[in-house]
Amino acid sequence: MSALIAIGAGIAVLTGVGAGIGIGIATARATESIARQPEAKSDINKALILGCALAEATAIYGLVIAFLIIFVLSK
Amino acid sequence: MHDLAERLTEELQSKTSFTIDLFGSRIPVSESVVVTWGIMVFLMVLTLVFVRNLKLVPGKPQVVVEFLVGFINNFFTDILGEHGKRYIPYLGTVLIYLGVANVVGLFGIRPPTKDLSVTVGLAIMSIILVEYSGIHQHGVKGYIKNFAHPMPVMVPFNILELFIRPLSLSMRLFGNIFGGFVVMEMIRMVVPILIPLPLGFYFDIFDGLLQAYVFCFLTSLFMQEKLEA
Repeated sequence: MSALIAIGAGIAVLTGVGAGIGIGIATARATESIARQPEAKSDINKALILGCALAEATAIYGLVIAFLIIFVLSK
Repeated sequence: MHDLAERLTEELQSKTSFTIDLFGSRIPVSESVVVTWGIMVFLMVLTLVFVRNLKLVPGKPQVVVEFLVGFINNFFTDILGEHGKRYIPYLGTVLIYLGVANVVGLFGIRPPTKDLSVTVGLAIMSIILVEYSGIHQHGVKGYIKNFAHPMPVMVPFNILELFIRPLSLSMRLFGNIFGGFVVMEMIRMVVPILIPLPLGFYFDIFDGLLQAYVFCFLTSLFMQEKLEA
């Protein structure tokens, strides 16, 4: 039973893959655009942080679900 | 391994520091509330010390304080515009509180934002202020009309947003801080010295300040959307 719980939590944390890819792409584009237009740096940074925060949310949801699986089911 | 799971479950529940006996009913006061009181006292003392006898020609501490206040004012004015100026004190207060609350873990105190109730409370306060700013700006009629803002098809989504926004705000803050806390606990169990230090800088300082920034940034963005629409 506990092995199944661990596998379930592991699958839930796989949401991190999407967030990682998303933040990676966003950061790559942001560095490109800063290199192209250094004077727009502060605007780009703001948009980047907003995008990262929103993309990261999926990973965080996965983490919270994993915690819930472990803590609620293992009781 | 089992030991770890038990300890983590223990950490997930908010601990009760003490209970107040009030007319026979017992009110439990959780640890996060006590830590929040501590942060309040700390910030109050700082304000009293640094705001006393301000001078026209600033001394060194005053320059730092002026820089911080200016930074907060500029940051939120850029997003909110002229109409949103009246909400800056609240947003600034939340920013400072969250900044201190997230970093406090570095000193061995449990950060209050690790408690889900705290983040949910902050998120509900934020969403109430966001909706209030919309009502204040456009009146009740205009506020209700704005639910069909780009087109009438969007009404259910706009109503859903009312609940999803505080949910994602609170879960993001809680998940980040709690996740960082758990990772730090695990690392401390495996390697108690030296390795936790640089990682602590990342999880406690960088991530904590970033999440405080993101929380206030998102709140002000939602508010700007309501003010403008």
